[in-house]
Amino acid sequence: MPNVDDLISKALSRRIFMVGAGSAAALAAVGCQNHFQPQPGPPVTTPPTNPTLTDADYLNFALNLEYLEASYYLFAATGSGLSATDSGSGAGKVTGGAQVPFSSAIQMEYAYEIAQDELNHVRFLRSALGSAAVSAPAIDLTNSFNAAAMAAGIGASFNPFASFDAFLVGAFVFEDVGVTAYHGAAPLLTNTTYLGAAAGIMGVEAYHAAEVRALVLQAGATYVGYANQISALRATLGGGNETTLSATTVVACDPTTAIAFSRTPSQVLQIVYATATIGATSGGFFPSGLNGNIKTTAG
Amino acid sequence: MATTETQVLDEVIASSRRRMVMMGGTALAGLFLGGSTKAEAATLTDADYLNFALNLEYLEAEFYTLASVGKTIDQIGLGVGAGTAATGGGTVTVKPTGVASCQVPFTIPAVMNYATEIASEEQKHVTFLRGALGSSAVAQPNIDLYNSFNAAAAAAGIGPAFDPFASDVAFLLGSYIFEDVGVTAYHGAAGALTSKTNLLAAAGILAVEAYHAGLIRTVLYGMDQANPAAGIAATATKISNLRSLLDGTGNDDIGLGTTMDELNGASATFTASTIVNADSNTICFSRTAQQVLNIVYASPSGTKGGFFPNGLNGNVS
Repeated sequence: MPNVDDLISKALSRRIFMVGAGSAAALAAVGCQNHFQPQPGPPVTTPPTNPTLTDADYLNFALNLEYLEASYYLFAATGSGLSATDSGSGAGKVTGGAQVPFSSAIQMEYAYEIAQDELNHVRFLRSALGSAAVSAPAIDLTNSFNAAAMAAGIGASFNPFASFDAFLVGAFVFEDVGVTAYHGAAPLLTNTTYLGAAAGIMGVEAYHAAEVRALVLQAGATYVGYANQISALRATLGGGNETTLSATTVVACDPTTAIAFSRTPSQVLQIVYATATIGATSGGFFPSGLNGNIKTTAG
Repeated sequence: MATTETQVLDEVIASSRRRMVMMGGTALAGLFLGGSTKAEAATLTDADYLNFALNLEYLEAEFYTLASVGKTIDQIGLGVGAGTAATGGGTVTVKPTGVASCQVPFTIPAVMNYATEIASEEQKHVTFLRGALGSSAVAQPNIDLYNSFNAAAAAAGIGPAFDPFASDVAFLLGSYIFEDVGVTAYHGAAGALTSKTNLLAAAGILAVEAYHAGLIRTVLYGMDQANPAAGIAATATKISNLRSLLDGTGNDDIGLGTTMDELNGASATFTASTIVNADSNTICFSRTAQQVLNIVYASPSGTKGGFFPNGLNGNVS
């Protein structure tokens, strides 16, 4: 796919110029995006959910989540995180993270694969966004998991880097959320090229989610219990949208239609910030908040 | 879900109206352009794509229902007729020993559970799409789950015959044939849908197909690593290679095995699994309707064959 980056960069350039030139102004002036956009064809009758947000804003929102996932998996796999090149200028600090003491080749293979996949997503989105790409925000991989463990009732602390099974529970925290985040963002995108990319990344997150859920089942009842305590916490923070993990419910989806759940950006922020408070701009995995225009919980 | 389904229904009705208008235009376009495929493609509506998906869901639901309970989907009460009619669907061809003999003699409880779960989810996809399409829903076409697998096995170089209902591993390999294709089919269709409601539903079904694919591939890879002599991953990779051959886009279907990755280092020194089936950006592949048809018809240019001996029902066939 050598031409995808070029295509996306070209298609984005007009929009990126606007975002780069005055994102603060864009936030203040509701609907100003429409003044800058060409309007080919008949007028659109269905207004976008939030007329101030562009495709670039949603891609940057996704990029923040990919920075988090890539940092987590790269530390687990290698003991170090994203390179400076992959993090962007002025990137935030990463707290915690350590190589998992793997005990078999297949454990390493699984971890390496997902780490490379999430790194590829970071690189793809940074390339697609070009100069509009936000740098990696500050990421906390220690206090975040401890607080989540406390809130979920698992215990006073939780170190996902302590063992392969603990690592799976840490991975469980992210993957289903990634699916719901991309699913919720897909219809908000206006450009079909980005829509295709977002749907394809969502598919990969779902492969990961199923893999992680299947491996947590293999890890045994203790870890399934932890995962479901995390799942219940996510349901509280993120508007429900959870399927309890069991031997007969590997897939997370609506029990009536078997269609995967979707979450609004705010519901995703509430999970990664670990707060249901409206108006929150940081917390949990992102102690200084997300970078970009989507960073405040709205309930 | 009543609200959502009503919305979907509204969208489908709107799409059908659009289709009638556009089909009038196609006839004219045909006069000028000699009925080029491009003009034909432009007439496809959301309902056409949903019916295309419904054909694939009938196939998947039949396979998993037979595997888990030894019955066809109409035998368990799922509607298979045109529109809202419960009956009137096509035939299902299975091995000579009969429908009941398709229930897999599972020896691994986890695999039996997976079969039961996936059967339930594919049945729900059939019901959801039929509900969304209402009177526009196509009937189940004739489905072949016997000669199709044998021919696929021969074409893939697996052997002269393959019974996906014979054992846990055979069932997982049979599933492997479908799920990655479902992902690419919904991915390809997502960008073509005009209604955001339909898009959301299609993307959500895509994700569930990807969950299934991830689950099947993880279980198969684990079994392969536990018993390398059985050659399970190698067989799965032959299926991937056959799909690559049939869809005509080159070797873009990732088999089960390992690859060398760089991660955050400077050289490819990390041996990683290939559970995920995706491109070099780790974005799932996308297939056009034609490429999907080439795979399910087991022919690079046919209008029927393979799993659908009489072709698909609907305007994408």
